[in-house]
Amino acid sequence: MSSERHPQHADASGQPIRRSPWPSTGLLLALTGSIATLWLAATGQLGLYIHPRYFTFTAILVGLGLVATIAAHAIAEPGDDHDHPAPTGWRGRLQGSGGVLAALALVVGLLVLPPATLTTTTVEQRDLNSSIEADAQLVGADPATFQLRDWAALLSHPATAVTYAGQQITLSGFVTPAPDGNPDVFYLARFVVTCCTVDAQPVGIPVTSPAWADSHPVDGWLEVTGTLVTSEASTTGGVVLKPSSIDSIERPAQPYDY
Amino acid sequence: MQSTASRPSGLTAPAPGRRGPMLIRVGVILALAAVMLGLRLVADPAWTAWLPDAGRDFVTLSVSVFVESLPFVFLGIAISILVQVWVPDRVWQRYLPRNPFLRRIALSVLGVLFPVCECGNVPLARGLMMRGLGVGDALTFLLAAPILNPVTIITTYQAFGWEDGILVARIGGAFVIANLLGWLFSRHPDPSSLLTAGFEARCHAEPGVPQTRTIRSARLFAEETTVMLPALVAGSMIAGAIQVGIPRSVLVELGSNPLLSVLVLMALAFVVSVCSNVDAFFILSFSATFMPGGIVAFLVFGAMIDIKMLALLRTTFTTRALALIATLVALCVLVLGMGLNLVL
Repeated sequence: MSSERHPQHADASGQPIRRSPWPSTGLLLALTGSIATLWLAATGQLGLYIHPRYFTFTAILVGLGLVATIAAHAIAEPGDDHDHPAPTGWRGRLQGSGGVLAALALVVGLLVLPPATLTTTTVEQRDLNSSIEADAQLVGADPATFQLRDWAALLSHPATAVTYAGQQITLSGFVTPAPDGNPDVFYLARFVVTCCTVDAQPVGIPVTSPAWADSHPVDGWLEVTGTLVTSEASTTGGVVLKPSSIDSIERPAQPYDY
Repeated sequence: MQSTASRPSGLTAPAPGRRGPMLIRVGVILALAAVMLGLRLVADPAWTAWLPDAGRDFVTLSVSVFVESLPFVFLGIAISILVQVWVPDRVWQRYLPRNPFLRRIALSVLGVLFPVCECGNVPLARGLMMRGLGVGDALTFLLAAPILNPVTIITTYQAFGWEDGILVARIGGAFVIANLLGWLFSRHPDPSSLLTAGFEARCHAEPGVPQTRTIRSARLFAEETTVMLPALVAGSMIAGAIQVGIPRSVLVELGSNPLLSVLVLMALAFVVSVCSNVDAFFILSFSATFMPGGIVAFLVFGAMIDIKMLALLRTTFTTRALALIATLVALCVLVLGMGLNLVL
């Protein structure tokens, strides 16, 4: 029994548990998670995953977690453990291999793959502009302060959309095809995040650009300047952005609207 | 964070002969950290350019759940260590009321003082029963504490605010269900038959070697991360996979049915076993497609009963008792969730 009580130590070293210099599965996962998260924070990329209101909280707690992980490994002594008898037999092996798989998944997902925003695949999965609600506060406000999400809300309702015809705007977002597949209209889109990326909802405004697919890759980031015009094109609000200039840009540091 | 604060005393506490191994362990973990950071810095996007967009979004969604939850998991572990190691048992035993109903009410809000996730509550409940607390009373604590605690309430509020009464229904529902089951089981004619035979013996086996609080804190940190982080990784990946893999039309169909929205999310909660103090972030992405009763059922049922929790409780309760507890909780939550769907 005693040799099986700490499968995490035995798993990590492949040897009896006493004085193993290798960390347990949990400490290994904590180390991977906190190093990757602190790297995201240090390089200004936490915004790809969580709302800015969590930046400071996350950086501080994960930083403390990293210190605690190192300290715990330094001073923890394997010993008799009556409160947490580790499962033995098949259950212990299952738990052990689950920990190894989790560690592999974390290393690949957090340390190997490049940080990324969501793509058009998720736009299609979640239906562009499906989450939009009319926002009465926008009407009459200064259009220069509007984010892409505000324009998407305004343009989705014919009655308000028409009142903005002739308005000049400049917006940045990524390219996603029109939901009806119109080859001469693409949507300039962004995700709106409430808490973290898992709740991201796609919003976008229609941009007229004949045969746009030849010059603008899907998911590429653009800054578009142009004028809102009424149009017969297939849009819910009957107003589209007619561009005077379209510039390719790098993905901005803050790719989501909040 | 206790282990952090008291690190210096931990370094001086062991006998001089143990300093060598300790330096090796520090060296090993710092080297591992350096390797990880190095991998992150040299990892070339070209290595993974073959990955399709759906795979990329799966990773992005999973990572976002993980990164959002990680600081809260660390916070929960820190408080769990504080309570289990640094607060003497007798301090909180002394103040429990004698009247069984009042005692269970007190026990169900005890989680406010022990804001740990359900994994941390099992050892606490075992300790309570060892000191003579009834099975029903311990059950009330076990079921209520994962929800009626500050970390869970804060994360649920962060995710949902006051929207659709989800926060209120979660707290109120958990309180009522925990007290109801505690009362039911307190009327059991032979409570000891609910417990595993080995439980009593194991609990009386005190550790032979006394350890300093710092060392116990460090051990607890290693154990809690070993229980919680694999579950968190698996939960994050399931959340990401469902978002990418199941068409929105199916989710909308299931989620707008008053009965199915509750049953599906209860089944999901049982399988994913995400800790109660971060499950609100997990389920947030479903709030657009599922009725509020389903969300509440997920948040209440998952915090009380799931695969991970059953595995932990099996150390203490018989399989028969656990099946009974799980069934009763499931029925209560079903009524709660469907009731909300029909009222709201």
